[in-house]
Amino acid sequence: MASSRDDFIIAIRSAFLKKSTQQKFSLLTLVFLSIFIILLSSLNFKVIKYLKIGINEIVYRSSFLVSLPENFLKDTFIGISDYTTFFNDYKKNKVELNKLKSNNVSSEIIEFENKELKELINDYISSSNKILAKIIVDHDSPFLKSIIINKGSKDSIKIGTNIYDQSYLVGRVIEVNYKTARVLLLSDLNSNVPVTISPENIQAIITGTGGNHGQIKYMKDGFSDNLTNQSIIYTSGTGAIFKSGIPIGKLKVKENELTKRFEVEFYSDFSQLKYVFAEIIVKTSIESSSEKDANIETPTPFNSKLKILEDELKIVEDTKLKFKEENENLKKEINILNSEILNSKKELSSQKKTIDQFNIDKDELKFLKLNLKYGHKCRKSFFNSKGFLVDSPEYKNCVLTKGRIING
Amino acid sequence: MASLSSKNSFSKFYSWLPIFILFISVLNEFDFNYLGLDYFSFNFPFILIFFFSLKEFKHFDYLLVFIAGLINDTVVGLPLGISSLSYCLICAATSYLRNITIRPHLIKDWFYFLLIISLINSLNYSVLNLFFSYNLNLINYLINNFFTFLFYLFFVNIFNLYLKGLND
Repeated sequence: MASSRDDFIIAIRSAFLKKSTQQKFSLLTLVFLSIFIILLSSLNFKVIKYLKIGINEIVYRSSFLVSLPENFLKDTFIGISDYTTFFNDYKKNKVELNKLKSNNVSSEIIEFENKELKELINDYISSSNKILAKIIVDHDSPFLKSIIINKGSKDSIKIGTNIYDQSYLVGRVIEVNYKTARVLLLSDLNSNVPVTISPENIQAIITGTGGNHGQIKYMKDGFSDNLTNQSIIYTSGTGAIFKSGIPIGKLKVKENELTKRFEVEFYSDFSQLKYVFAEIIVKTSIESSSEKDANIETPTPFNSKLKILEDELKIVEDTKLKFKEENENLKKEINILNSEILNSKKELSSQKKTIDQFNIDKDELKFLKLNLKYGHKCRKSFFNSKGFLVDSPEYKNCVLTKGRIING
Repeated sequence: MASLSSKNSFSKFYSWLPIFILFISVLNEFDFNYLGLDYFSFNFPFILIFFFSLKEFKHFDYLLVFIAGLINDTVVGLPLGISSLSYCLICAATSYLRNITIRPHLIKDWFYFLLIISLINSLNYSVLNLFFSYNLNLINYLINNFFTFLFYLFFVNIFNLYLKGLND
Protein backbone atom coordinates (compact mmCIF):
# COMPACT_ATOMS: atom_id res chain seq x y z
CA MET A 1 0.00 0.00 0.00
CA ALA A 2 2.77 2.38 1.03
CA SER A 3 4.72 1.42 -2.01
CA SER A 4 1.87 2.20 -4.40
CA ARG A 5 1.41 5.60 -2.73
CA ASP A 6 5.12 6.23 -3.13
CA ASP A 7 4.90 5.28 -6.80
CA PHE A 8 2.01 7.69 -7.27
CA ILE A 9 3.93 10.51 -5.57
CA ILE A 10 7.05 9.76 -7.58
CA ALA A 11 5.04 9.75 -10.82
CA ILE A 12 3.34 13.03 -9.94
CA ARG A 13 6.62 14.66 -8.88
CA SER A 14 8.29 13.45 -12.01
CA ALA A 15 5.42 14.77 -14.15
CA PHE A 16 5.61 18.24 -12.69
CA LEU A 17 9.31 18.65 -12.02
CA LYS A 18 11.21 16.53 -14.53
CA LYS A 19 12.59 18.45 -17.46
CA SER A 20 13.62 16.66 -20.60
CA THR A 21 16.51 18.00 -22.61
CA GLN A 22 14.27 20.12 -24.84
CA GLN A 23 12.31 21.78 -22.02
CA LYS A 24 13.54 25.05 -20.55
CA PHE A 25 10.99 25.21 -17.74
CA SER A 26 9.40 22.54 -15.57
CA LEU A 27 5.63 22.21 -15.71
CA LEU A 28 5.32 23.22 -12.05
CA THR A 29 7.00 26.56 -12.83
CA LEU A 30 4.66 27.15 -15.72
CA VAL A 31 1.59 26.17 -13.68
CA PHE A 32 2.58 28.63 -10.96
CA LEU A 33 3.32 31.27 -13.58
CA SER A 34 -0.17 30.77 -15.03
CA ILE A 35 -1.79 31.15 -11.61
CA PHE A 36 0.34 34.24 -10.97
CA ILE A 37 -0.78 35.77 -14.28
CA ILE A 38 -4.43 34.98 -13.54
CA LEU A 39 -4.14 36.76 -10.18
CA LEU A 40 -2.29 39.73 -11.68
CA SER A 41 -4.80 40.18 -14.50
CA SER A 42 -7.66 40.17 -12.02
CA LEU A 43 -5.97 42.78 -9.83
CA ASN A 44 -5.84 45.35 -12.65
CA PHE A 45 -2.40 46.87 -12.07
CA LYS A 46 -1.47 49.70 -14.39
CA VAL A 47 1.69 47.97 -15.64
CA ILE A 48 -0.25 44.76 -16.28
CA LYS A 49 -2.95 46.75 -18.03
CA TYR A 50 -0.44 48.30 -20.46
CA LEU A 51 1.24 44.94 -20.96
CA LYS A 52 -2.11 43.37 -21.70
CA ILE A 53 -2.96 46.16 -24.18
CA GLY A 54 0.37 45.51 -25.93
CA ILE A 55 -0.23 41.76 -26.10
CA ASN A 56 -3.80 42.32 -27.31
CA GLU A 57 -2.67 44.62 -30.11
CA ILE A 58 -0.14 42.10 -31.41
CA VAL A 59 -2.35 39.06 -30.95
CA TYR A 60 -5.43 40.61 -32.55
CA ARG A 61 -3.48 41.66 -35.63
CA SER A 62 -1.81 38.26 -35.87
CA SER A 63 -5.16 36.56 -35.41
CA PHE A 64 -6.61 38.69 -38.21
CA LEU A 65 -3.80 37.62 -40.55
CA VAL A 66 -3.96 33.97 -39.58
CA SER A 67 -7.75 33.96 -39.95
CA LEU A 68 -7.61 35.23 -43.55
CA PRO A 69 -7.82 31.78 -45.20
CA GLU A 70 -10.62 30.66 -42.87
CA ASN A 71 -12.43 33.95 -43.39
CA PHE A 72 -12.16 33.41 -47.13
CA LEU A 73 -13.78 29.99 -46.73
CA LYS A 74 -16.39 31.45 -44.42
CA ASP A 75 -17.22 34.26 -46.86
CA THR A 76 -17.47 31.81 -49.73
CA PHE A 77 -19.80 29.60 -47.72
CA ILE A 78 -21.99 32.54 -46.71
CA GLY A 79 -21.87 33.92 -50.27
CA ILE A 80 -23.12 30.67 -51.75
CA SER A 81 -25.93 30.36 -49.23
CA ASP A 82 -26.83 34.03 -49.88
CA TYR A 83 -27.15 33.48 -53.62
CA THR A 84 -29.82 30.86 -53.09
CA THR A 85 -32.11 33.38 -51.44
CA PHE A 86 -30.92 36.38 -53.42
CA PHE A 87 -34.01 37.12 -55.53
CA ASN A 88 -36.52 36.72 -52.72
CA ASP A 89 -34.40 38.95 -50.52
CA TYR A 90 -34.24 41.56 -53.28
CA LYS A 91 -38.02 41.66 -53.61
CA LYS A 92 -38.49 41.86 -49.88
CA ASN A 93 -35.88 44.59 -49.57
CA LYS A 94 -37.49 46.64 -52.32
CA VAL A 95 -40.82 46.70 -50.51
CA GLU A 96 -39.12 47.48 -47.23
CA LEU A 97 -37.08 50.28 -48.80
CA ASN A 98 -40.18 52.04 -50.07
CA LYS A 99 -41.76 51.74 -46.66
CA LEU A 100 -38.65 53.09 -44.98
CA LYS A 101 -38.37 56.02 -47.37
CA SER A 102 -41.83 57.17 -46.40
CA ASN A 103 -41.03 56.78 -42.72
CA ASN A 104 -37.77 58.65 -42.99
CA VAL A 105 -39.22 62.15 -43.13
CA SER A 106 -41.41 61.70 -40.09
CA SER A 107 -38.61 60.07 -38.16
CA GLU A 108 -36.37 63.06 -38.84
CA ILE A 109 -38.95 65.34 -37.29
CA ILE A 110 -39.41 62.99 -34.34
CA GLU A 111 -35.67 62.82 -33.87
CA PHE A 112 -35.45 66.54 -33.67
CA GLU A 113 -38.34 66.74 -31.21
CA ASN A 114 -36.71 64.03 -29.15
CA LYS A 115 -33.44 65.91 -29.06
CA GLU A 116 -35.21 69.04 -27.97
CA LEU A 117 -37.13 67.26 -25.19
CA LYS A 118 -34.01 65.54 -23.96
CA GLU A 119 -32.33 68.87 -23.75
CA LEU A 120 -35.14 70.07 -21.54
CA ILE A 121 -34.85 67.05 -19.22
CA ASN A 122 -31.07 66.67 -19.01
CA ASP A 123 -28.47 69.13 -17.90
CA TYR A 124 -26.26 68.28 -20.80
CA ILE A 125 -26.41 68.02 -24.54
CA SER A 126 -24.95 64.95 -26.06
CA SER A 127 -23.68 65.20 -29.56
CA SER A 128 -22.77 61.90 -31.13
CA ASN A 129 -20.58 60.93 -33.98
CA LYS A 130 -20.60 57.46 -35.48
CA ILE A 131 -17.35 56.09 -36.80
CA LEU A 132 -17.01 53.09 -39.04
CA ALA A 133 -15.01 50.19 -37.65
CA LYS A 134 -13.92 46.98 -39.31
CA ILE A 135 -14.26 43.67 -37.52
CA ILE A 136 -10.85 42.08 -37.49
CA VAL A 137 -11.54 39.04 -35.32
CA ASP A 138 -14.85 37.22 -35.10
CA HIS A 139 -14.57 33.58 -34.14
CA ASP A 140 -18.22 33.11 -33.19
CA SER A 141 -17.15 31.08 -30.18
CA PRO A 142 -19.93 29.09 -28.51
CA PHE A 143 -18.73 30.26 -25.09
CA LEU A 144 -18.17 33.99 -25.40
CA LYS A 145 -19.86 36.07 -28.05
CA SER A 146 -17.51 38.92 -28.77
CA ILE A 147 -15.80 40.59 -31.72
CA ILE A 148 -12.66 42.68 -32.12
CA ILE A 149 -12.87 45.97 -34.03
CA ASN A 150 -10.02 48.00 -35.50
CA LYS A 151 -10.76 51.16 -33.52
CA GLY A 152 -9.45 51.85 -30.04
CA SER A 153 -8.57 54.58 -27.56
CA LYS A 154 -6.81 56.42 -30.40
CA ASP A 155 -10.23 56.96 -31.99
CA SER A 156 -11.88 57.98 -28.69
CA ILE A 157 -13.46 54.58 -28.09
CA LYS A 158 -14.17 54.02 -24.42
CA ILE A 159 -15.42 51.13 -22.33
CA GLY A 160 -19.19 51.14 -22.77
CA THR A 161 -19.21 52.72 -26.24
CA ASN A 162 -22.33 51.56 -28.06
CA ILE A 163 -21.77 49.59 -31.25
CA TYR A 164 -24.26 49.55 -34.10
CA ASP A 165 -24.97 47.63 -37.25
CA GLN A 166 -26.61 50.39 -39.36
CA SER A 167 -28.96 51.80 -36.74
CA TYR A 168 -29.44 48.56 -34.78
CA LEU A 169 -27.63 47.94 -31.53
CA VAL A 170 -25.21 45.02 -31.56
CA GLY A 171 -23.30 45.45 -28.31
CA ARG A 172 -20.92 47.56 -26.29
CA VAL A 173 -17.18 47.86 -25.86
CA ILE A 174 -15.76 45.95 -22.87
CA GLU A 175 -12.03 46.23 -23.50
CA VAL A 176 -10.12 49.06 -25.15
CA ASN A 177 -6.61 48.92 -26.57
CA TYR A 178 -4.78 51.61 -28.49
CA LYS A 179 -5.97 50.63 -31.95
CA THR A 180 -8.38 47.79 -31.23
CA ALA A 181 -11.33 47.11 -28.94
CA ARG A 182 -13.38 44.10 -27.89
CA VAL A 183 -17.15 44.32 -28.26
CA LEU A 184 -19.46 42.16 -26.17
CA LEU A 185 -22.37 41.19 -28.40
CA LEU A 186 -25.98 41.28 -27.19
CA SER A 187 -26.18 37.53 -27.75
CA ASP A 188 -23.55 36.82 -25.08
CA LEU A 189 -24.74 35.29 -21.82
CA ASN A 190 -23.06 38.13 -19.91
CA SER A 191 -24.88 40.87 -21.78
CA ASN A 192 -27.80 42.55 -19.98
CA VAL A 193 -29.67 45.40 -21.63
CA PRO A 194 -32.51 47.48 -20.12
CA VAL A 195 -35.21 47.75 -22.76
CA THR A 196 -38.72 48.99 -23.45
CA ILE A 197 -41.20 46.71 -25.17
CA SER A 198 -43.51 48.64 -27.46
CA PRO A 199 -46.49 49.15 -27.95
CA GLU A 200 -47.21 47.64 -24.50
CA ASN A 201 -44.66 50.06 -23.00
CA ILE A 202 -43.21 47.50 -20.60
CA GLN A 203 -39.77 47.90 -19.06
CA ALA A 204 -37.61 44.77 -19.11
CA ILE A 205 -34.07 43.45 -19.18
CA ILE A 206 -32.92 41.22 -22.00
CA THR A 207 -29.94 38.94 -21.90
CA GLY A 208 -28.09 36.87 -24.47
CA THR A 209 -28.46 33.12 -24.72
CA GLY A 210 -25.15 32.31 -26.33
CA GLY A 211 -27.10 31.52 -29.50
CA ASN A 212 -28.49 33.78 -32.21
CA HIS A 213 -31.31 35.20 -30.12
CA GLY A 214 -31.84 36.85 -26.77
CA GLN A 215 -34.38 36.32 -24.04
CA ILE A 216 -36.29 38.44 -21.59
CA LYS A 217 -34.74 37.93 -18.20
CA TYR A 218 -36.70 40.33 -16.07
CA MET A 219 -39.81 42.47 -16.34
CA LYS A 220 -40.66 45.35 -14.11
CA ASP A 221 -44.12 44.10 -13.14
CA GLY A 222 -43.52 40.40 -13.67
CA PHE A 223 -44.01 38.46 -16.87
CA SER A 224 -47.15 39.72 -18.51
CA ASP A 225 -49.62 37.93 -20.77
CA ASN A 226 -50.25 41.15 -22.65
CA LEU A 227 -47.06 40.78 -24.62
CA THR A 228 -47.67 39.96 -28.24
CA ASN A 229 -45.56 38.50 -30.98
CA GLN A 230 -43.62 41.00 -33.07
CA SER A 231 -43.63 43.70 -30.37
CA ILE A 232 -40.72 46.03 -30.94
CA ILE A 233 -37.87 46.07 -28.43
CA TYR A 234 -35.62 49.09 -28.04
CA THR A 235 -33.24 50.35 -25.39
CA SER A 236 -34.83 52.24 -22.52
CA GLY A 237 -31.66 54.07 -21.52
CA THR A 238 -32.07 53.04 -17.89
CA GLY A 239 -28.75 52.89 -16.12
CA ALA A 240 -27.14 55.09 -18.79
CA ILE A 241 -25.22 52.12 -20.22
CA PHE A 242 -26.98 52.28 -23.54
CA LYS A 243 -28.55 55.28 -25.24
CA SER A 244 -32.33 55.22 -25.23
CA GLY A 245 -34.47 54.45 -28.26
CA ILE A 246 -32.05 52.21 -30.15
CA PRO A 247 -33.88 49.37 -31.90
CA ILE A 248 -32.73 45.88 -30.88
CA GLY A 249 -35.19 43.33 -32.20
CA LYS A 250 -38.65 41.87 -32.17
CA LEU A 251 -40.36 39.82 -29.50
CA LYS A 252 -41.16 36.19 -30.16
CA VAL A 253 -43.50 34.46 -27.77
CA LYS A 254 -42.82 30.74 -27.66
CA GLU A 255 -45.52 28.79 -25.97
CA ASN A 256 -45.93 25.15 -25.14
CA GLU A 257 -48.24 23.31 -22.76
CA LEU A 258 -46.25 24.08 -19.65
CA THR A 259 -44.14 27.14 -20.26
CA LYS A 260 -44.18 30.41 -22.08
CA ARG A 261 -40.86 31.85 -23.20
CA PHE A 262 -40.18 35.36 -24.43
CA GLU A 263 -37.38 35.39 -26.97
CA VAL A 264 -35.85 38.34 -28.76
CA GLU A 265 -35.15 38.06 -32.45
CA PHE A 266 -32.33 40.53 -33.10
CA TYR A 267 -32.65 42.81 -36.12
CA SER A 268 -29.00 42.34 -36.87
CA ASP A 269 -27.38 39.02 -37.78
CA PHE A 270 -24.30 38.97 -35.57
CA SER A 271 -22.67 36.11 -37.43
CA GLN A 272 -22.42 38.13 -40.63
CA LEU A 273 -21.10 41.42 -39.37
CA LYS A 274 -18.18 42.88 -41.29
CA TYR A 275 -18.32 46.55 -40.43
CA VAL A 276 -19.96 48.23 -37.46
CA PHE A 277 -20.44 51.79 -36.25
CA ALA A 278 -19.04 52.95 -32.93
CA GLU A 279 -20.84 55.91 -31.43
CA ILE A 280 -18.57 58.49 -29.88
CA ILE A 281 -20.59 60.65 -27.51
CA VAL A 282 -19.43 64.05 -26.39
CA LYS A 283 -21.37 65.45 -23.46
CA THR A 284 -21.56 69.21 -23.04
CA SER A 285 -23.26 70.56 -19.93
CA ILE A 286 -25.89 73.29 -20.28
CA GLU A 287 -25.49 76.28 -18.01
CA SER A 288 -28.44 77.49 -15.95
CA SER A 289 -29.65 81.02 -16.71
CA SER A 290 -27.90 82.48 -13.66
CA GLU A 291 -24.67 80.76 -14.56
CA LYS A 292 -25.11 81.97 -18.06
CA ASP A 293 -25.34 85.56 -16.93
CA ALA A 294 -22.31 85.20 -14.75
CA ASN A 295 -20.25 83.44 -17.31
CA ILE A 296 -20.77 85.11 -20.62
CA GLU A 297 -17.12 84.76 -21.65
CA THR A 298 -17.36 80.97 -21.95
CA PRO A 299 -20.14 80.50 -24.44
CA THR A 300 -19.63 76.82 -25.34
CA PRO A 301 -22.92 75.40 -23.97
CA PHE A 302 -24.71 78.50 -25.20
CA ASN A 303 -23.23 77.90 -28.61
CA SER A 304 -24.45 74.34 -28.47
CA LYS A 305 -27.95 75.52 -27.70
CA LEU A 306 -27.64 78.09 -30.43
CA LYS A 307 -26.57 75.32 -32.74
CA ILE A 308 -29.68 73.34 -31.84
CA LEU A 309 -31.82 76.40 -32.54
CA GLU A 310 -30.01 76.92 -35.81
CA ASP A 311 -30.68 73.30 -36.65
CA GLU A 312 -34.31 73.80 -35.75
CA LEU A 313 -34.45 76.88 -37.95
CA LYS A 314 -32.83 74.99 -40.75
CA ILE A 315 -35.38 72.20 -40.50
CA VAL A 316 -38.24 74.72 -40.38
CA GLU A 317 -36.81 76.57 -43.38
CA ASP A 318 -36.36 73.33 -45.24
CA THR A 319 -39.93 72.32 -44.50
CA LYS A 320 -41.14 75.79 -45.54
CA LEU A 321 -39.20 75.55 -48.75
CA LYS A 322 -40.68 72.15 -49.45
CA PHE A 323 -44.20 73.46 -48.82
CA LYS A 324 -43.54 76.49 -51.00
CA GLU A 325 -42.32 74.34 -53.79
CA GLU A 326 -45.33 72.11 -53.45
CA ASN A 327 -47.59 75.18 -53.43
CA GLU A 328 -46.02 76.49 -56.64
CA ASN A 329 -46.54 73.17 -58.28
CA LEU A 330 -50.18 73.11 -57.24
CA LYS A 331 -50.72 76.66 -58.51
CA LYS A 332 -49.26 75.75 -61.86
CA GLU A 333 -51.51 72.77 -62.01
CA ILE A 334 -54.57 74.90 -61.19
CA ASN A 335 -53.66 77.39 -63.95
CA ILE A 336 -53.30 74.62 -66.45
CA LEU A 337 -56.66 73.19 -65.43
CA ASN A 338 -58.33 76.64 -65.66
CA SER A 339 -57.06 77.24 -69.15
CA GLU A 340 -58.25 73.78 -70.11
CA ILE A 341 -61.74 74.60 -68.77
CA LEU A 342 -61.77 77.87 -70.73
CA ASN A 343 -60.84 76.13 -73.91
CA SER A 344 -63.54 73.56 -73.37
CA LYS A 345 -66.13 76.30 -72.76
CA LYS A 346 -65.15 78.07 -75.97
CA GLU A 347 -65.39 74.91 -77.87
CA LEU A 348 -68.77 74.19 -76.33
CA SER A 349 -70.21 77.61 -77.27
CA SER A 350 -68.92 77.36 -80.83
CA GLN A 351 -70.52 73.94 -81.13
CA LYS A 352 -73.77 75.38 -79.74
CA LYS A 353 -73.69 78.14 -82.32
CA THR A 354 -73.15 75.63 -85.06
CA ILE A 355 -76.07 73.59 -83.81
CA ASP A 356 -78.31 76.72 -83.65
CA GLN A 357 -77.29 77.70 -87.14
CA PHE A 358 -77.98 74.25 -88.31
CA ASN A 359 -81.46 74.36 -86.70
CA ILE A 360 -82.18 77.71 -88.33
CA ASP A 361 -81.01 76.42 -91.66
CA LYS A 362 -83.16 73.37 -91.17
CA ASP A 363 -86.34 75.50 -90.49
CA GLU A 364 -85.56 77.69 -93.45
CA LEU A 365 -85.18 74.69 -95.69
CA LYS A 366 -88.43 73.25 -94.43
CA PHE A 367 -90.25 76.58 -95.14
CA LEU A 368 -88.78 76.82 -98.60
CA LYS A 369 -89.82 73.29 -99.40
CA LEU A 370 -93.39 73.89 -98.16
CA ASN A 371 -93.44 77.31 -99.89
CA LEU A 372 -92.82 75.62 -103.21
CA LYS A 373 -95.64 73.23 -102.53
CA TYR A 374 -98.27 75.38 -100.78
CA GLY A 375 -97.15 78.97 -101.53
CA HIS A 376 -99.82 79.46 -104.19
CA LYS A 377 -102.56 78.64 -101.62
CA CYS A 378 -101.39 81.32 -99.17
CA ARG A 379 -100.31 84.12 -101.53
CA LYS A 380 -102.84 86.97 -102.04
CA SER A 381 -103.79 87.23 -105.72
CA PHE A 382 -106.61 88.00 -108.01
CA PHE A 383 -108.09 84.56 -107.59
CA ASN A 384 -107.20 84.16 -103.94
CA SER A 385 -108.50 87.10 -101.97
CA LYS A 386 -108.09 85.26 -98.64
CA GLY A 387 -104.34 84.99 -99.03
CA PHE A 388 -101.60 87.03 -97.39
CA LEU A 389 -98.78 89.27 -98.46
CA VAL A 390 -95.61 87.19 -99.23
CA ASP A 391 -93.28 88.51 -96.47
CA SER A 392 -95.90 88.69 -93.72
CA PRO A 393 -95.79 86.30 -90.75
CA GLU A 394 -99.35 85.15 -91.58
CA TYR A 395 -98.10 83.96 -94.96
CA LYS A 396 -95.27 82.05 -93.29
CA ASN A 397 -97.72 80.44 -90.84
CA CYS A 398 -99.99 79.51 -93.68
CA VAL A 399 -97.14 77.85 -95.64
CA LEU A 400 -95.97 75.98 -92.54
CA THR A 401 -99.53 74.69 -91.90
CA LYS A 402 -99.51 73.45 -95.47
CA GLY A 403 -101.87 76.12 -96.94
CA ARG A 404 -104.54 76.03 -94.26
CA ILE A 405 -105.75 79.53 -93.60
CA ILE A 406 -106.38 80.03 -89.90
CA ASN A 407 -108.52 83.02 -89.15
CA GLY A 408 -107.87 85.13 -86.19
CA MET B 1 23.51 21.91 -52.96
CA ALA B 2 20.53 24.25 -53.15
CA SER B 3 18.11 21.36 -53.22
CA LEU B 4 19.82 19.88 -50.17
CA SER B 5 19.41 23.15 -48.27
CA SER B 6 15.73 23.47 -49.26
CA LYS B 7 15.17 19.84 -48.25
CA ASN B 8 16.80 20.62 -44.93
CA SER B 9 14.63 23.66 -44.27
CA PHE B 10 11.54 21.69 -45.24
CA SER B 11 12.37 18.89 -42.81
CA LYS B 12 13.01 21.53 -40.12
CA PHE B 13 9.62 23.08 -40.81
CA TYR B 14 8.03 19.64 -40.85
CA SER B 15 9.47 18.77 -37.46
CA TRP B 16 8.12 22.03 -35.98
CA LEU B 17 4.72 21.56 -37.63
CA PRO B 18 2.76 20.57 -34.47
CA ILE B 19 3.79 23.75 -32.65
CA PHE B 20 3.11 25.77 -35.77
CA ILE B 21 -0.39 24.25 -36.06
CA LEU B 22 -0.98 24.84 -32.35
CA PHE B 23 -0.24 28.56 -32.77
CA ILE B 24 -2.40 28.80 -35.87
CA SER B 25 -5.26 27.03 -34.12
CA VAL B 26 -5.19 29.29 -31.08
CA LEU B 27 -4.94 32.41 -33.24
CA ASN B 28 -7.60 31.26 -35.62
CA GLU B 29 -9.71 29.01 -33.41
CA PHE B 30 -10.59 26.77 -36.32
CA ASP B 31 -13.58 24.89 -35.08
CA PHE B 32 -16.06 25.32 -37.97
CA ASN B 33 -18.25 27.61 -35.88
CA TYR B 34 -19.17 29.55 -39.01
CA LEU B 35 -21.09 26.52 -40.29
CA GLY B 36 -23.67 27.57 -37.73
CA LEU B 37 -24.23 24.01 -36.58
CA ASP B 38 -25.99 24.00 -33.26
CA TYR B 39 -24.46 21.82 -30.61
CA PHE B 40 -21.16 21.39 -32.38
CA SER B 41 -17.79 22.58 -31.19
CA PHE B 42 -14.53 20.93 -30.24
CA ASN B 43 -11.23 21.97 -28.75
CA PHE B 44 -8.48 21.18 -31.21
CA PRO B 45 -5.56 22.48 -29.07
CA PHE B 46 -6.51 20.02 -26.31
CA ILE B 47 -6.20 17.07 -28.72
CA LEU B 48 -2.95 18.31 -30.20
CA ILE B 49 -1.30 19.07 -26.87
CA PHE B 50 -2.43 15.81 -25.32
CA PHE B 51 -1.14 13.72 -28.23
CA PHE B 52 2.26 15.31 -28.74
CA SER B 53 2.90 15.70 -25.05
CA LEU B 54 2.04 12.03 -24.56
CA LYS B 55 4.45 11.08 -27.33
CA GLU B 56 7.09 13.33 -25.73
CA PHE B 57 7.64 14.98 -29.07
CA LYS B 58 11.04 16.66 -29.07
CA HIS B 59 9.97 20.05 -30.46
CA PHE B 60 6.95 20.33 -28.20
CA ASP B 61 8.31 22.88 -25.75
CA TYR B 62 6.15 23.50 -22.66
CA LEU B 63 7.02 27.18 -22.76
CA LEU B 64 5.62 27.47 -26.26
CA VAL B 65 2.49 25.63 -25.13
CA PHE B 66 2.22 28.09 -22.26
CA ILE B 67 2.53 31.05 -24.69
CA ALA B 68 -0.08 29.47 -26.95
CA GLY B 69 -2.40 29.43 -23.93
CA LEU B 70 -1.83 33.14 -23.36
CA ILE B 71 -2.64 33.84 -27.00
CA ASN B 72 -5.79 31.74 -26.80
CA ASP B 73 -6.96 33.73 -23.77
CA THR B 74 -6.37 36.98 -25.60
CA VAL B 75 -8.23 35.86 -28.70
CA VAL B 76 -11.19 34.34 -26.88
CA GLY B 77 -11.39 37.12 -24.30
CA LEU B 78 -10.81 35.02 -21.21
CA PRO B 79 -8.76 36.25 -18.24
CA LEU B 80 -5.05 35.86 -19.08
CA GLY B 81 -3.54 32.62 -17.83
CA ILE B 82 -6.63 30.38 -17.81
CA SER B 83 -5.82 28.51 -21.02
CA SER B 84 -2.11 28.40 -20.18
CA LEU B 85 -2.99 26.69 -16.94
CA SER B 86 -5.26 24.23 -18.77
CA TYR B 87 -2.61 23.41 -21.35
CA CYS B 88 0.09 22.98 -18.71
CA LEU B 89 -2.21 20.69 -16.72
CA ILE B 90 -2.77 18.56 -19.84
CA CYS B 91 0.99 18.32 -20.28
CA ALA B 92 1.38 17.32 -16.62
CA ALA B 93 -1.38 14.71 -16.91
CA THR B 94 0.20 13.17 -20.01
CA SER B 95 3.57 13.20 -18.35
CA TYR B 96 2.02 11.33 -15.40
CA LEU B 97 0.38 8.83 -17.77
CA ARG B 98 3.70 8.25 -19.48
CA ASN B 99 5.34 7.59 -16.13
CA ILE B 100 2.77 5.01 -15.02
CA THR B 101 2.25 3.28 -18.39
CA ILE B 102 4.44 0.42 -19.48
CA ARG B 103 2.46 -0.66 -22.54
CA PRO B 104 0.54 2.25 -24.13
CA HIS B 105 -2.91 1.45 -25.50
CA LEU B 106 -4.96 3.78 -27.70
CA ILE B 107 -8.34 3.12 -26.06
CA LYS B 108 -6.90 3.61 -22.58
CA ASP B 109 -5.29 6.86 -23.71
CA TRP B 110 -8.60 7.90 -25.25
CA PHE B 111 -10.58 7.46 -22.04
CA TYR B 112 -7.80 9.02 -20.01
CA PHE B 113 -8.08 11.98 -22.40
CA LEU B 114 -11.82 12.18 -21.66
CA LEU B 115 -11.12 12.21 -17.93
CA ILE B 116 -8.48 14.92 -18.24
CA ILE B 117 -10.46 17.25 -20.51
CA SER B 118 -13.52 16.81 -18.32
CA LEU B 119 -11.52 17.78 -15.26
CA ILE B 120 -9.91 20.74 -17.01
CA ASN B 121 -13.19 22.00 -18.45
CA SER B 122 -14.78 21.71 -15.01
CA LEU B 123 -11.90 23.65 -13.52
CA ASN B 124 -12.21 26.31 -16.24
CA TYR B 125 -15.94 26.59 -15.74
CA SER B 126 -15.61 26.84 -11.96
CA VAL B 127 -12.83 29.44 -12.03
CA LEU B 128 -14.62 31.61 -14.60
CA ASN B 129 -17.95 31.31 -12.86
CA LEU B 130 -16.83 31.68 -9.25
CA PHE B 131 -13.88 34.06 -9.44
CA PHE B 132 -14.63 36.07 -12.55
CA SER B 133 -18.47 35.98 -12.45
CA TYR B 134 -18.75 34.86 -16.07
CA ASN B 135 -22.12 33.50 -17.13
CA LEU B 136 -21.37 30.37 -19.13
CA ASN B 137 -23.58 27.74 -20.64
CA LEU B 138 -22.75 24.38 -19.09
CA ILE B 139 -24.38 22.53 -22.00
CA ASN B 140 -21.91 24.15 -24.40
CA TYR B 141 -19.05 22.90 -22.25
CA LEU B 142 -20.46 19.37 -22.19
CA ILE B 143 -20.97 19.35 -25.95
CA ASN B 144 -17.47 20.68 -26.52
CA ASN B 145 -16.11 18.03 -24.20
CA PHE B 146 -17.99 15.27 -25.98
CA PHE B 147 -16.93 16.27 -29.50
CA THR B 148 -13.33 16.83 -28.43
CA PHE B 149 -13.39 13.31 -27.04
CA LEU B 150 -14.91 11.92 -30.25
CA PHE B 151 -12.52 13.73 -32.56
CA TYR B 152 -9.49 12.48 -30.62
CA LEU B 153 -9.39 9.17 -32.48
CA PHE B 154 -9.66 10.86 -35.85
CA PHE B 155 -6.85 13.29 -35.16
CA VAL B 156 -4.68 10.61 -33.53
CA ASN B 157 -4.66 8.74 -36.83
CA ILE B 158 -3.63 11.87 -38.69
CA PHE B 159 -0.90 12.67 -36.15
CA ASN B 160 0.38 9.09 -36.32
CA LEU B 161 0.68 9.48 -40.08
CA TYR B 162 2.63 12.67 -39.48
CA LEU B 163 4.99 10.92 -37.04
CA LYS B 164 5.43 8.07 -39.48
CA GLY B 165 6.32 10.57 -42.19
CA LEU B 166 8.80 12.24 -39.87
CA ASN B 167 10.52 8.95 -39.01
CA ASP B 168 10.75 8.02 -42.68
